Amino acid sequence: MSIAAKKRLEGYGFIAPGFLYVLLVLGYPLVYNIILSFKNVDVKTFASGTSKFVGFANYIELFHDPTFLLVLKNTFVFTIACLAIQFTLGFLLALLFSQKFTFAGPIRGLVLVAYMMPMSVTAMLGKNMFGVTEGVINDLLMKIGLINAPVEWLVSSSTAMIAVIAVNCWVGIPFNMLLLTSGLTGISQDVYESASLDGANKFQRFFYITLPLMKSSILAVLMLGFIYTFKAFDLMFIMTSGGPLNSTDVLGTYAYTLSFTKYEFSQGSAAALVLFCCLFVIGLFYLRLTTKEDD
Amino acid sequence: MKERFKKILAVSLAGAMAAGVLAGCGGSGGTASSSAADTNTSASSASSGSSQTSGAVKEVSVWHYFEHEAQALEKVAEDYNSSQDKIHITCTYVSREELMKQYTIGAVSGELPDIGMVDSPDMASYISLGVFEDIDDQLQEWGELDKFYAGPLSSCMDSEGKLHGLPNNSNCLALLCNMDILNAAGVDTPPTTWDEFYEVCKKTTDAANSVYGFAMSAIGNEEGTFQYIPWLYSTGADVTTLDSEGAAKSLDFLGQLVSEGLMSKEVVNWGQGDALNAFAAGKAAMVESGTWQIAQFDSGDVELNCKYKYALLPKDKENASVIGGENFGVCAGTEAKDECVDFLKYMMTAQNNADWCETAGKLPVRSDAAELKDFWTADERYAVFNEAMNSAVARGPHESWPTISEAIYTAEQAALLGEKSGTDAMAEAVAVVNPILEEVPIAAVK
Amino acid sequence: MDGKIETSLKTKGGRSNFGKCVIAVLVAIIFLFPLYWLLSMSFKTDGESFGKLVTYYPHSFTLEPWIKNFSDKDFLLSLKNSILIAILSMTISIGFGVPTAYGMGRYKVPGSKSFLLTFLVTQMLPASLMLTPMYLIFNKVGLLGTYLGPALAISSGSIPFIVITLRPYFKGIPVSLDDAARIDGCGVIRSFLSIMIPAIKTGVITVIVISFLNGWNDLAYSMTFNVKPEMRPLTANIFKFQSKYGTKWNCIMAYGAILVIPVVLLFVFLQKYIVGGLTAGAVKE
Repeated sequence: MSIAAKKRLEGYGFIAPGFLYVLLVLGYPLVYNIILSFKNVDVKTFASGTSKFVGFANYIELFHDPTFLLVLKNTFVFTIACLAIQFTLGFLLALLFSQKFTFAGPIRGLVLVAYMMPMSVTAMLGKNMFGVTEGVINDLLMKIGLINAPVEWLVSSSTAMIAVIAVNCWVGIPFNMLLLTSGLTGISQDVYESASLDGANKFQRFFYITLPLMKSSILAVLMLGFIYTFKAFDLMFIMTSGGPLNSTDVLGTYAYTLSFTKYEFSQGSAAALVLFCCLFVIGLFYLRLTTKEDD
Repeated sequence: MKERFKKILAVSLAGAMAAGVLAGCGGSGGTASSSAADTNTSASSASSGSSQTSGAVKEVSVWHYFEHEAQALEKVAEDYNSSQDKIHITCTYVSREELMKQYTIGAVSGELPDIGMVDSPDMASYISLGVFEDIDDQLQEWGELDKFYAGPLSSCMDSEGKLHGLPNNSNCLALLCNMDILNAAGVDTPPTTWDEFYEVCKKTTDAANSVYGFAMSAIGNEEGTFQYIPWLYSTGADVTTLDSEGAAKSLDFLGQLVSEGLMSKEVVNWGQGDALNAFAAGKAAMVESGTWQIAQFDSGDVELNCKYKYALLPKDKENASVIGGENFGVCAGTEAKDECVDFLKYMMTAQNNADWCETAGKLPVRSDAAELKDFWTADERYAVFNEAMNSAVARGPHESWPTISEAIYTAEQAALLGEKSGTDAMAEAVAVVNPILEEVPIAAVK
Repeated sequence: MDGKIETSLKTKGGRSNFGKCVIAVLVAIIFLFPLYWLLSMSFKTDGESFGKLVTYYPHSFTLEPWIKNFSDKDFLLSLKNSILIAILSMTISIGFGVPTAYGMGRYKVPGSKSFLLTFLVTQMLPASLMLTPMYLIFNKVGLLGTYLGPALAISSGSIPFIVITLRPYFKGIPVSLDDAARIDGCGVIRSFLSIMIPAIKTGVITVIVISFLNGWNDLAYSMTFNVKPEMRPLTANIFKFQSKYGTKWNCIMAYGAILVIPVVLLFVFLQKYIVGGLTAGAVKE
């Protein structure tokens, strides 16, 4: 056997267990739902066994439903806003905390607590803090003088999304910081030192050294961030139940409600698969970027 | 090099196995008592049962989401267990949301408890999904069905009128008033009409101290629909006539309360417990309250530091309230159908229904149970609910009730938030509800 | 190690250190305020936690919400369940995930693109889509009502996360380390376990923490696959306080605090290792 073939075998040996595991546990659910989404299984056809294949009817119906279109819009607004905020601030914090100063270690650890809290607790906490009269956020904003009257955060369909985004960023910023700090510390100090000797200033060093060297970390963080934000469920489910008036309803909650509250199983699967397809496209895009970097 | 590959494979396999063994240890304790194991044992005892018929005890699992009532339910089960030696009942608490999910998944997988509790408006959907067994024949033989009130009983029927379970308790809604606030505003008695109600709301609202005249639940789930139904029916409209003037009027009336600051906008995020908490904290002078909440005052779970009084909900054209309550059904695929029915009958005898409802603070579902005690007439709070029951309407029964309900609470929220007029909001609901009702009308049982 | 930090502080100058400290403290205040709020609410009485006025510390301090939680007979059981599920799923995730990340990061094998895509894809499946079909599988193989069921399901989410996060780490290890290992006569496995993994200690600790948390914080899987109350983890019981009682803020917050505290302790402990790992790396360079 050639050395290359031997190497390949070793590689497969390391990859196989995890790969097969994931394929086994997750492959079936995916196939199951794809089939379901092309049938008309709902409360009427389920028990009678009269469900049949209906082609793309579920998908067509979805895209003619104004609520679904609103949900789709909400999902993108939520994802893009969260991603922009948590990546930018997360990166800044990572830059700050990757430096050595007196409180760097302990404070970075403390900030991370936000990320580690169970989402169910965080969502409850958010629901309380964004209350209109008893909420501390309104109270603080009024004390500072930023607002004169309480903002109807979770009550009004125009502000509920802002509150949900804020809570999600509170979790997402530390998450971004954690992964980016790990990437930053991977950059050897020598590189910076030689750059300083060459006369590069701080910004030049950041844009010409830090960013390129962190490309794969950054891409991974953005990719994972997109996936987790796009399929958000717990946060809205507990904090707003998707309301008021579907203003915080996203694909995750919408699909869940279809399947588990309204028993529109096929429609629920179709909605979940739309979510999946959006992510799939993003995933392909990511893959192209990372493999380019590999070559 | 081949050896090396083998080594890698061996190590990873060993790792996988170790994980498996570890997991097996952790899990074995639970497996012994899991429902899967239960069905296995009962299946095997059934096949080899002839030799030891007398000794075998059938295990029957009951899933419920009772909270403060759980102890009373456990007691019924214990009494039943000690009354005979053939059947053993085990009650398990599963939160409402979770239980609904389990039924839905159970409908697909067939893994269900033996007996399950369900909120009455949801039962029709689950019957359609095949979650509950048809036990009509056994219940007809029983000969006591005519003692049950028609409304609650109808919620256990499929579209052909066959019973799939028994109602367990009823509740309805009434108006709870903080008499301290009302008296201070110069109001001596709770309002009876919408006009009076509106006036009282105005008098008791104290914006400076964030006290609202009224609080209710208008949350985006079944609770929101539940609390809205009385307002709808009071105008003479009903679920089949959402496009009527009355329906729009009911929404506009509630919307007006919000827009004039007599009711907090936050009601769109409040469950019934949240509305009650607001009332208990003195943030609302009146609240739409359910029968079960009396027991929470008496147990101290909710502290009311005021003089309070129950009254019928104010009326527009006619008095109206809404029936709530839980049903118990025998789940499909159980190996102990007869035993389950036997327990249901035991639980629902007149005496047991009366005892249980008294302990748990509920209204009985049998007319002869209500006659056994003066509990529901002697306590003036329960007396109000007893009276409200006369004009209380059932939701559905309809297999697509969750979808109908969603259309209704969405319309209500749009009106309360001032995003749509009552007429416009209802027009959207009608677009969803009417086609459903045209296909399958609501089973007409009065 | 300590000497290194001191010198770096001196060279950077006190002023810049002070400025950074101020910013860091501000950041900490913003991020920790919700946690303070959580704790503060948990010591308030029912009336105060739902009162008309917002109070910034418990005016009438009470331990009742905590006592209510701790006197719940299911509490200790749930705690045990949470720990078991978290450790089990962490072990599975690390056992499967780290070797795979290594294989993907350091070997050029045909099909690696599609492997990576598959792992990415698995992260994209929303929970609601997984519950029913997974339930069907677990039902068939008898995993319902065991700790292994939810642990396997949670791991199926953690493994791809580990692969995606650790792959770049493994890739970043200089080839010279491979060669050094070979010269030392290390076998493939030994080189992986005793050279590669320690080389990316930070990353490994990070994924250990996160895969533990995935298990600790899980709600949907544990509840769907384990209905029995004696099998349910802590996260599941938070819903006890919602439903008909209304939102009992003080009790919920106390419960949340109980859920968060062990994680904080664990992390503070591990944080030392992470910081230690970083400094050790710097010294080597």
